[in-house]
Amino acid sequence: MSDVTINVNGTDRSATVEDRTLLVDFLREALGLTGTHVGCDTSQCGACTVILDGKAVKSCTVLAVMAEGSEVRTIEGLAEGDELHPVQAAFCKHHALQCGFCTPGMIMAAVNILERHGPDIDEALVRHQLEGNLCRCTGYHNIVKAVLDAAQQTRIAAE
Amino acid sequence: MSEHDSGTDRDADAAPAAAGPCTELPEGWAYDAEASGIGVLPVDMFRSIGKPVKRREDRRLVTGKGRFTDDFSVAGQLYAAMVRSPYPHARIRAIDTAAAQEAPGVLAVLTGQDALDDGLGPIPHNPVPSTRFDVKLRAPDGAMPFIGPHLLLPVDKARHVGEAVAMVVAESRAAAEDAAELVEVDWEELPHVADSLDAMAPGAPQVWDEVPGNAFVDSAFGDEAAVDAAFAEAAHVASAKFHVNRVTAVTMEPRAALADYDPETGRSTLYAGSGGAVRQKRELAETLGLDPADLRVLSHDVGGNFGARNRVYVEFGLVLWASRRLQRPVKFTATRSESFLTDYQGRDLNTHVQLALDADGRFLAMKADNVSNVGARCVSLSPLSKGSGLITGSYHIPHAHLRARAVFTNTMCTQAYRSSGRPEVTYAIERLVDIAAEEMGLDKIELRRRNLVAPTDMPYRTAMGSIYDSGEYEANMDRAMALFEWDAIPARHADAEARGKRLGVGLANYVESSIGTPKERAEITVAPGGQVEVVIGTQPSGQGHETSFAQVVADMLQTPVERVRIVLGDTDKVSLGGGTHSGRSMRHAGTVMAMASADLLRKARTLAADRLGFPPEELDFTDGAFSHRDSNQTVTLAELATADAPLFAARTNEMHAPVFPNGTAICEVEIDPDTCRIEITRYASIDDVGRCINPMIVHGQSHGGIAQGVGQAMWENCPIDAESGQPLAGSLMDYGMPRADNVPFYDVGISEVLSPTNPFGVKAGGEGGTTPALATVTLAVLDALRPLGVRDISMPVTPERLWQALHAAPQATESRT
Ligand code: FES
Ligand code: FES
Repeated sequence: MSDVTINVNGTDRSATVEDRTLLVDFLREALGLTGTHVGCDTSQCGACTVILDGKAVKSCTVLAVMAEGSEVRTIEGLAEGDELHPVQAAFCKHHALQCGFCTPGMIMAAVNILERHGPDIDEALVRHQLEGNLCRCTGYHNIVKAVLDAAQQTRIAAE
Repeated sequence: MSEHDSGTDRDADAAPAAAGPCTELPEGWAYDAEASGIGVLPVDMFRSIGKPVKRREDRRLVTGKGRFTDDFSVAGQLYAAMVRSPYPHARIRAIDTAAAQEAPGVLAVLTGQDALDDGLGPIPHNPVPSTRFDVKLRAPDGAMPFIGPHLLLPVDKARHVGEAVAMVVAESRAAAEDAAELVEVDWEELPHVADSLDAMAPGAPQVWDEVPGNAFVDSAFGDEAAVDAAFAEAAHVASAKFHVNRVTAVTMEPRAALADYDPETGRSTLYAGSGGAVRQKRELAETLGLDPADLRVLSHDVGGNFGARNRVYVEFGLVLWASRRLQRPVKFTATRSESFLTDYQGRDLNTHVQLALDADGRFLAMKADNVSNVGARCVSLSPLSKGSGLITGSYHIPHAHLRARAVFTNTMCTQAYRSSGRPEVTYAIERLVDIAAEEMGLDKIELRRRNLVAPTDMPYRTAMGSIYDSGEYEANMDRAMALFEWDAIPARHADAEARGKRLGVGLANYVESSIGTPKERAEITVAPGGQVEVVIGTQPSGQGHETSFAQVVADMLQTPVERVRIVLGDTDKVSLGGGTHSGRSMRHAGTVMAMASADLLRKARTLAADRLGFPPEELDFTDGAFSHRDSNQTVTLAELATADAPLFAARTNEMHAPVFPNGTAICEVEIDPDTCRIEITRYASIDDVGRCINPMIVHGQSHGGIAQGVGQAMWENCPIDAESGQPLAGSLMDYGMPRADNVPFYDVGISEVLSPTNPFGVKAGGEGGTTPALATVTLAVLDALRPLGVRDISMPVTPERLWQALHAAPQATESRT
């Protein structure tokens, strides 16, 4: 067992967990942050995507103990009060979710695309960058539209 | 459901009339405005119906506040892990649980014998579709088929790889999984069979002693003599054999269940995402021998279904049982590996089809021999049954004959999977039409045009006895071709060629059926604040019922959509309801919600008449308020409701007539002849969904449906190694999926030819994307490869298969150099 402290969405959170505990289980089980999902056991689906020290990672491939002292952002920490993050808003506007299971991971991945590449992105880049996030419902059409629109909104806001 | 087994028009071997306009419609087929109590719905009352209203589900889902099954936890909960068979077919000689019992944190290790000792029975799956419009599938001797009892844990033998044979319950998931490894099963390996045609061969291993030869359903439909006569006269006969590959649903949320037991009340609560909590409750209560009143099933957010979640899973019953034995909550969540082995799978149809044509290319008759692989036991015959009614596709084929068989094998059970049974037969007929066109030297579009069912022949009875309710099939094709920019194909061909690519285009027409459980119930309450609550028995898994159903009730009651709340997925609130499958939801729920709304308005009108002092029939109802032309007083629905007496109406409705959504889809691919990489470069479709309540949602359904169909045609496959009987697709690393970077944007259009069978004219959206996609992709690939001598390829059309086909083709050497 190990004591782990991770800064999650701006607050230090601690728990004592088995060494084999994955970051995603730390978030879901120890902290009750069930917005981050588990969709596979081979690091393929991206449902568990969170932003770890500024980089989108699959939290099922990180041990909680490895994230000791890090900063983690999850879907729960994205909106500012009642105000949705532009990517969250774009997902609603463009019907980029159906069952919503892939959505938290998809949104965190998309947020990180914008953070890493800035708002000047095109369809090919978005599709390539989201290749590791599976969605079974939407056929990706509206997800790609939503991410491109969120980029556009950010561009407008910056002008 | 068997209680609806009535009528005889689709019996096997009954010789139906030749196909054509249906002059004698069965009673209750058409919507009767008078009998329904709601009359004709005037379009001018539709304010939000037909609008792309944003979904109210989204806010919780984009902020991480969704309520999926595994998100629930109850204090003191235990975790279950399964011990699964590593063999496709093996006798269980003994199970030694001693070491596992001793492992740290373990509370129980339970086997099939324990379940029998506790009086548990098999899951009552009820797999034979039996509304009066379903074809009647029967055993070879004409009796109801033997389906293979589905015990929660088998006691005699395991019949497929992954079948659970024991369960470990422990304090943590890891402890349960660790202990499951310590359970020793003494296996006696038995010969196995995975392929349905092999399973029918003489001397094949027996999956069930009760069914020698493994084919437990064998029925014939249509007028064989008329078909034989037409084939004898035909100018040309096209013939083909296809295997529609086995796939799995890959719902992104793995299946999960959490059972909680309250010893004080003796009641159990099961959190389990499904396709309908009411069925889960009914069948699980029967399995466990519980009074249904002692079981509450909750199905909140469901992370995808596509058919895989419609039926009961053994683990749902197992956690319920364990929690009652141990008097502690018990949770099970499948890993993705377990999902690949033991989620109900889809398709796996072998079909041999033949089409007789006259010299002008008119279709004269069709023969089909369909063999469905149901796996180790029969959970559902929906795919075979649905497909049986639709073998003639969108075309007028005067006579047809079908032999339909279902076969046990040592594989996971199959079930309805997105557009159950329809993509299979659409694939067969559309490929057959292309083959006929090529063999006869006819243009494939012209050949289709010549044979499509005409709008003037609607309602149209097919040679299989299906009654197509309405549709403009040729107009669909023309609109899809326009959307696709069909005329630009030669230029795009040249452009692709200049880049060293082969371009191909595949077009498929489709018609599919939406039948589904005929009963649905709605309860509507208007509270004094004006909030409207609607309790309904469907179960969405992403289809947006909370939004689109609210649109319907809002328009009926003339109240803002935001005021209407839809309640579903809790069997303590929802007493009756058919769940969500077969594209039934909007049609059944929309109709019964409109009926209940009308009942509610009738009551409200009487109350309003009292309040306003005028006779009820003189009142106007606009904008949610009653008024009279001689008075400036009005009274709203909210004002008529009091805390003690809210306005309330409930209605149960039964609707049997199926509807037939239809359309056309076109796919374009570019193939790199060196690497055999296939890229989908364009995809267009027109779907006639009848009345479209929310086009944003329907378009979304089309997109997702297309991707699932494309996935099956291009990458998805659940093969089994013939020698070992082991499934070869065990994870997302072995199973190809549609991803953001391997599908294009889709051009989708909606056509709204209203169905005469229900008040809104709804058909269904959701399956139309998938139904033609297997055919469009395959036909596009074949179109691209035809100049290279390739005439056939089977799904999935992977680069490896392309490469093999190219190298086996007779012209391969010349044309590739
Ligand atoms: S859970 Fe699938 S990638 Fe992490
Ligand atoms: S919305 Fe269902 S998996 Fe993406």
